[in-house]
Amino acid sequence: MKRSHLLALAMILCMAFPAMSFAETIVKVGNILPLSGPSASVGQQGKQAREMAIEEINAAGGIKSLGGAKIEMLYADSKSDPNVGVTEAERFINTEKVHVITGAWNSGVTYPSTAVAERYGIPYIVPVSVRDTITERGFKNVFRIAAKDSWWTRDQFTFLKDMQAEFGEELKTVAFVYENGDWGTGFAAQWKKLIEGSGLKVVLDEPYSSSATDLTPLVNKIRRARPDVLLLVSNAADAILLTNTLADYKVSPKVILGSGGGHADPTFLSGCGDNARYIFDIVEWEADVNKPGAKEANEKYRAKYGTNLTGEAVDAYVAMYMLADALERAGSLEPAALRKALAETDLKSGPGMIVTYDAIKFDASGQNENAALSIVQINDLGKGLERITVWPKGARRAGYTPVFPMPKK
Amino acid sequence: MDLVFIAQDCINGVLMGLIYGLVALGLTLIFGVLKVINFAHGSFLMVGMYVAYWAVTLSGLHPYLALVIIVPAMFLFGYWIQNLLIRPIFIAEKNVREPITVIIVTTGLWYVLDNLALLVFGPDYRALAPNPLKGQMLEFGEIFISVPKLYGAIATLATAGGLYLFLQRTRLGRAVRATSLDREAASLMGIGQWKIFNIAFGIGTAVAGISGAVLTPFYNVYPTVGIPFDIKSFVIVVLGGLGSIWGALVGGVIVGLIESVGPNFMASTWTEGIVYALFLLVLFVKPSGLFGQKQDW
Repeated sequence: MKRSHLLALAMILCMAFPAMSFAETIVKVGNILPLSGPSASVGQQGKQAREMAIEEINAAGGIKSLGGAKIEMLYADSKSDPNVGVTEAERFINTEKVHVITGAWNSGVTYPSTAVAERYGIPYIVPVSVRDTITERGFKNVFRIAAKDSWWTRDQFTFLKDMQAEFGEELKTVAFVYENGDWGTGFAAQWKKLIEGSGLKVVLDEPYSSSATDLTPLVNKIRRARPDVLLLVSNAADAILLTNTLADYKVSPKVILGSGGGHADPTFLSGCGDNARYIFDIVEWEADVNKPGAKEANEKYRAKYGTNLTGEAVDAYVAMYMLADALERAGSLEPAALRKALAETDLKSGPGMIVTYDAIKFDASGQNENAALSIVQINDLGKGLERITVWPKGARRAGYTPVFPMPKK
Repeated sequence: MDLVFIAQDCINGVLMGLIYGLVALGLTLIFGVLKVINFAHGSFLMVGMYVAYWAVTLSGLHPYLALVIIVPAMFLFGYWIQNLLIRPIFIAEKNVREPITVIIVTTGLWYVLDNLALLVFGPDYRALAPNPLKGQMLEFGEIFISVPKLYGAIATLATAGGLYLFLQRTRLGRAVRATSLDREAASLMGIGQWKIFNIAFGIGTAVAGISGAVLTPFYNVYPTVGIPFDIKSFVIVVLGGLGSIWGALVGGVIVGLIESVGPNFMASTWTEGIVYALFLLVLFVKPSGLFGQKQDW
């Protein structure tokens, strides 16, 4: 008697569940981000940008080819720890059964966690994480929107060359100062390759720990090396501390050039104040970009979260629209179909396309081949400190002449 | 190697080292009396920095004048934490002098406080404003001395001296020392153990508040700011001897000097390795630290 009851119940359940899941398809997206720890600030921006895009996409009717499927976002805090990133990727795939993973900002976390997704054949979208090798392992399921770090460093050197030519100022020596994580050491390795043939001489090559409580010893080393160019890779807290300490010790090279990250963090300007003036920084995106919808998106983001969009936030934002576009074309939540649709992406327009370049298109390795970079200078033109696009020259803000070299302190 | 560089680095090392010592002071004081490690000490420093930040931002006071707000606030905070969280453990584990559970509870407290700060204040890096000490430097030719750090070092010496006098000269201080030496015997002499524990914890937390006021003029405030200082504090108190006031300062200066002078001879990241190697060496050779008592209490 009892057994037959159970059987009947089981049958009802079997019938009920598929029916329910048909009624409301939900796309589950697992996001791994550093929501606490040293990179929490940038992790939160990534989360906010994703939320804003997903709200817009869901409000506009979701994924139409999947019957108006809504996108559900799941977040995991990597704490910038590779081990946590791997565990969370496993959990997303095995327990949460997500359809796509995105993340993870820290190259050190993205590198191993993409390997997990590749093993299970789940597509993994990397809005930002610059380490080259992330897309150089022959993986089929990893798609990166941001430029690789070799492109960043290449453009940094091109910028230095162009500026010397434009302003007739010769730069002779350079100091490499970088955080000792994956990101900083990756950049430094590229710089060392690019230095040959650039005419510059390296006078200091110094890694440092982002969690250092005192950067004065480092600043004193820079002061004694007297470089013309100071190339930096810094996370947020250390970028502020380093900039302020450099100013305290009156270290004034001709050029200070950051590599995004901490220098692009919205709190960098408020944390440094006038000490940040004239610093150059390489970015993917700036609020003064001349693209339809960019200003509106930035205004909306600002009203919602209180800061301007950053290049990294824009990558996260556009990643969601790119995902929606791929889902629309795939018309299926099968990993293989979704992977195919992602690989065939050629996104040219739509509300998310506020990036500086014209189309998102992936090469065979999963790298967005169009990702481009520009360089800004921090300056105060009477309305407080702002980031002004100066390079490439064609993209320079109308009427602005870069301050080059930096005035002596 | 230019001697003037070494002099410059030594000055910075001593100043920064004394400030590290100040941060470690609260930890060593609480250990000295309660015989438990407060794993949330870094978070107490973080709370101290936020209290300092808000006290200065809202009142517009000089960070050192704001100490009149910060110190009582932090004292009460510590007093309250010990009374509400730590005391029940001591009562539950009456037969144990150093209840292990305190480590777990204070670790939990660390996570709660850090995440609470993240929730309430967000992940932003906050710089003190108004900040009358920002970027102030004394310049003697090639040698630059950071004024906020100099103030911090003086504040450290004043705090350590004040604590020393308090413990040696006052009746309450003697009661604290008696409880530290033998809490049962002290209780039998009519010293209220819980009250002394509350006060010691309160003082330790108030010192974290002073550290907050010292650090904010040249260091940003953010929810996890305590962690790098926390780790350093543990190294320093073990180096100097757990429970010793002067040990904390000497340990701090040793770490400060290694960090500051070391980079002349190697990449700055290596100095961290030297600090930890020294830490292990002290644990092997003299586990009680440079100034710690050899005998158990």
